[in-house]
Amino acid sequence: MTVDTPHDPADRLAGVVALRRLADRVEDAEVELALREGWTWSQVAEALGVTRQAVHKKHARRLAQAGTSERGD
Amino acid sequence: MFERFDADARRVVVRAAYEEAQALGSASLEGEHLLLALAADPSTGAGGLLVDSGLDHDGLVAALERETERSLAAVGIALSDYEPAARPAAGRRKASFATSSKRALARAVGVASARGDRVVSTAHLLVGILRGEIGTVPRALEAVGVDRVTLMIAAERLL
Repeated sequence: MTVDTPHDPADRLAGVVALRRLADRVEDAEVELALREGWTWSQVAEALGVTRQAVHKKHARRLAQAGTSERGD
Repeated sequence: MFERFDADARRVVVRAAYEEAQALGSASLEGEHLLLALAADPSTGAGGLLVDSGLDHDGLVAALERETERSLAAVGIALSDYEPAARPAAGRRKASFATSSKRALARAVGVASARGDRVVSTAHLLVGILRGEIGTVPRALEAVGVDRVTLMIAAERLL
């Protein structure tokens, strides 16, 4: 993809911020989908390169309240 | 922690802004969530000013989306490139104050202290948010053609 790279650091640094937020949103969606498809927390954690505790802490409460069924591991 | 805040300002920082962050699926409570919470209640001085300036709640959400699009474009990403396989469920997650909102709150308290105001109102909050020259809020205002400094001066007149 070719874009005109802006020369203003403010634009590019804001791009970094927006990318982080987009990555968080993608993670929320993809973790939820993986669990719905039967992946365990351990598998999701391994795929993301983090500990099971880390991924569980970040997503479990939100997904439990959203009604996503949880599977043990 | 917010003893000096009046009832409206306290409601914004302890409840309304959290709800804005949650509604947008954000794990952190940013300066823009404080601004959204202010805009959501036009009965307050700050909320009324925002709405009168063309920044009602929906207008602000649109401004923030425009800012995200522009910022992603600056690093070569078109937001439309990504189609999430699933929309994240709008589950509740306790957002925590991020640096951007802490800075805005510190500026609001600083404005009140400098003026000798014992109580921090929504107007102080708005001035504190608008005094930030760099970051998502000023960029979102610019994206929809709202002059931050003009708005800030109008907010200062509410004090």
